[in-house]
Amino acid sequence: MLFGGIDIGSLTAQAVLVNDCQISAYCSIPVRPNPLESAGAALGNMLEERGLRLEDVSYIVSTGYGREKIQSAGIAQENVSEISCHGIGAYTLEPQVRTIIDIGGQDAKIIRMDDEGVLVDFVMNDKCAAGTGRFLEVMSKILGLSLEELGPVSLTSRDRVELSSRCSIYAETEVLHYLQRGVDKASIAFGVNRSMADRVMALVRRVGIEKEVVMSGGVAKNVAVRAELEKMMNVRMLMPKVDPQIIGAYGAAILARRAGGGS
Amino acid sequence: MKTMGIDVGSILSKVVILEDDEPIATGVIETTGNVSDEIVGLVEKVLADTGLARDQLDFAAGTGSGADLLTGVDFVEDEVTCIGASTGYLLHEIDLAVEIGGQSITSIELDEEGDIVNFMRNDKCASGSGRFLEVISGALGVGIEGIDEVVAQAGSPVSISSQCGVFGESEVITHVNAGEELADIMAGVCESVAKIVVAQIRRFGIQNVYTLTGGVVRVDSVARTIREKLDGKYFEFPYDPCLAAAIGAAMLAGVDLESSS
Repeated sequence: MLFGGIDIGSLTAQAVLVNDCQISAYCSIPVRPNPLESAGAALGNMLEERGLRLEDVSYIVSTGYGREKIQSAGIAQENVSEISCHGIGAYTLEPQVRTIIDIGGQDAKIIRMDDEGVLVDFVMNDKCAAGTGRFLEVMSKILGLSLEELGPVSLTSRDRVELSSRCSIYAETEVLHYLQRGVDKASIAFGVNRSMADRVMALVRRVGIEKEVVMSGGVAKNVAVRAELEKMMNVRMLMPKVDPQIIGAYGAAILARRAGGGS
Repeated sequence: MKTMGIDVGSILSKVVILEDDEPIATGVIETTGNVSDEIVGLVEKVLADTGLARDQLDFAAGTGSGADLLTGVDFVEDEVTCIGASTGYLLHEIDLAVEIGGQSITSIELDEEGDIVNFMRNDKCASGSGRFLEVISGALGVGIEGIDEVVAQAGSPVSISSQCGVFGESEVITHVNAGEELADIMAGVCESVAKIVVAQIRRFGIQNVYTLTGGVVRVDSVARTIREKLDGKYFEFPYDPCLAAAIGAAMLAGVDLESSS
């Protein structure tokens, strides 16, 4: 039996298909103007690639932006909060996980769970772009780097500029001044990634860290942010063997499997 | 006595020349990259308007976030002190001056003598500042000077929920894509700036008799909405509201001169 999870983020949308607990297919696309279109496209692409039809999927859970709409439109049978989906997704992949750092395109969440995978506590920032993927997006644009390059380029520098502004808008001006003064891009990128990690740590400190730690969401792909966070927490994070961006959708698929009668 | 005040802000730079505490010439330009040259030019222009030579001025003071870059001033004073000085002197009735500048919102409590009792300032985050307005209206293709003209056409404002300038920028683009009218979105942005400012004033806790200053107050759609939301009695700053810090600096320059002579 096949079960599906759909996670609509602010910048990307993910669909995951599981057979038992194994991921049998997944798809990640840039979001469309509305969550229904995003859900339809992510799910449609994934099924088409595998030569499957919607009827072949026994049960689908939606999460993320517009999760209720996706359910009421009949694409999903149930909708669950992102916090729960990220929690269960990470826990299924790494049962030792107690802390999940999920940094999405427009928000950041720190989720604490117990040894049975039950949610204990969480904090969230969705009010301010600092410490979210948007911050990195704004910074990489002004540096003339792609988001993918921001981490690796930063690792080539031993020097790091100090960004004094927390606000993304003011930090943008600060970065511009560094560039105008001819400061090396790599050391600015290092400063940007460090500033990102500083913001995330401020959130982490509010719930505390318990090992093991897993990072999910798009920002988890930035090696330099990961490295800075590991230094600050003095913890080596577990790396589930899946794209960190699909952990929420994977969690939704696992919940679909539970609800839809999968053992 | 003739004194000069120079306020180098993050968006606007201002020069004021006072003769016995009355402005006789003023100048405002946008702050771009080359601050020192810009200010030299602006000072020359304002001096030319008065027909005075630089050495005929008794004293000059600088203020604002870029004041460190100034040369040829006798001293530099922080903006809060300057705004307190000008608003307190010019408007004896007020107990609160609220400055909405390019990169900050500041609430200043004044006593009956016009002296500063306390202040609250957000300069850590662009929320509600001139930069916030500039970034978001820029995403809509509207310059700050054009905002009032656009808002004049508005029906009902579109509600903007983001307090973060970066998120606000994407939020307005979403509204454009959803087919909302530009004027209604722009009105919503002004409403949102007003809400953020009013929230700080409420936290500060004083709003009996107040004035509003700073470059953002030039945008009437924002200033009017702030006044509508506040209960206290409003006194209008008697000059261009963006000049409050520059006038205060020039006044303090005079005080300094008197006390030292």
